[in-house]
Amino acid sequence: MKPPAQVPSGTPLCRAALALYPPSWRARYADEVRALLDDSGASPAAAAASLAARALPAWVRPSRHLYDDGPARMRASVATVLMAGSMLTGLGLVFVQLTQAQGLRPGQHPVIGWCYAVFDVAFVLSLLVAAAGGLPLWFLMLRRACREVSPRDVTYLLLPVMASVSYLAAMIATIRRVGGPDGVGPGWFGVIILAGFVAAAVAAAGPGVALRRLRPRGPALRLATTAAALAARIMLVAVAAVIVAVIGLCVWAPDFAGHHHATLPGVYLVLMAAAAAVTVVSASRGARAARAS
Amino acid sequence: MTDKLDRWADPPLLVLASLAGEPKHGYAITQDVAQTMGVRLSAGTLYAVIARLEARGLIEPLEAEDRRRPYRITAAGATVLARQSERMSKVASLAQARLSTNLGWAGA
Repeated sequence: MKPPAQVPSGTPLCRAALALYPPSWRARYADEVRALLDDSGASPAAAAASLAARALPAWVRPSRHLYDDGPARMRASVATVLMAGSMLTGLGLVFVQLTQAQGLRPGQHPVIGWCYAVFDVAFVLSLLVAAAGGLPLWFLMLRRACREVSPRDVTYLLLPVMASVSYLAAMIATIRRVGGPDGVGPGWFGVIILAGFVAAAVAAAGPGVALRRLRPRGPALRLATTAAALAARIMLVAVAAVIVAVIGLCVWAPDFAGHHHATLPGVYLVLMAAAAAVTVVSASRGARAARAS
Repeated sequence: MTDKLDRWADPPLLVLASLAGEPKHGYAITQDVAQTMGVRLSAGTLYAVIARLEARGLIEPLEAEDRRRPYRITAAGATVLARQSERMSKVASLAQARLSTNLGWAGA
């Protein structure tokens, strides 16, 4: 069966659609897909739409044979969960600050009350599980970095501590300087929140880079991956509680939505759902690799 | 209405049936399925199916020619295809028999 004459290949639309797939999928199939599109002369828009529609399932249910070697998959998952999890932690703390810390329990509404309780338990449990499973790997990498006298890796591994301490110190100093009896104003609150997310990103990126450089493997990596998967699932419960609570507050406490503008809760929920999706998908992929190894 | 039923065709089965004849690369599979079964497989659908079938060991990749990699059905794939074909054949026979008994219609 002879393919027809070549037509211009790799239209921006199709390239964009292929870019939506996981790297391992692209490494394995992208060239073949481009050859198919060249041969078939299919409409770029239709081809891109069909490819884009299949990209999400490729992330959610990745084919087993596309895994890179188990340890590499696990390291990538731990790094991704660390980054997305830190964003979720930040969003969770914002939720606590804007709701529970403000005493927004309209008429002690039972649904919101339950959501607060479920969130608190799931949030703390998730962090404990992640810490319990991740600390052995962190100590292992730190020991190795010290043994190999690699100041750069030691710095990467200590970034979570340094970023957290620096952020807390800067936050306390800022609040003392600009805060009044009712706390800081909305502008400074926004700055503090933004700085918190930057600090969380830096804190999460450090061990992520160390994972890529030191390439640990073995039981400690499997434990961290499994713990990350469990923590991500527990965090999903916390996220569900936040979603119900925020919607509940908008419905049952008009002051809440009015005070924070109606669109902000929506933006917040979208961010939370996106971070939760990335965390859970990546954690599931890592857990499957851990089981297979 | 009849043509609309094409969308209910099971793409993995179509790909397996296409590869049962001889190894083919992506474009050849889409051409074969379109010509013999009248179903057009989009690039996204085809490669989602190829990835799934390959993961389950029902097809296997051969040496790539330029960027075109042919696929071959495996023994496990042939078994699955044979089992599915048998079931479909039973359903088709039953449907035709009942249609001709009740409606006097013997099919095309």
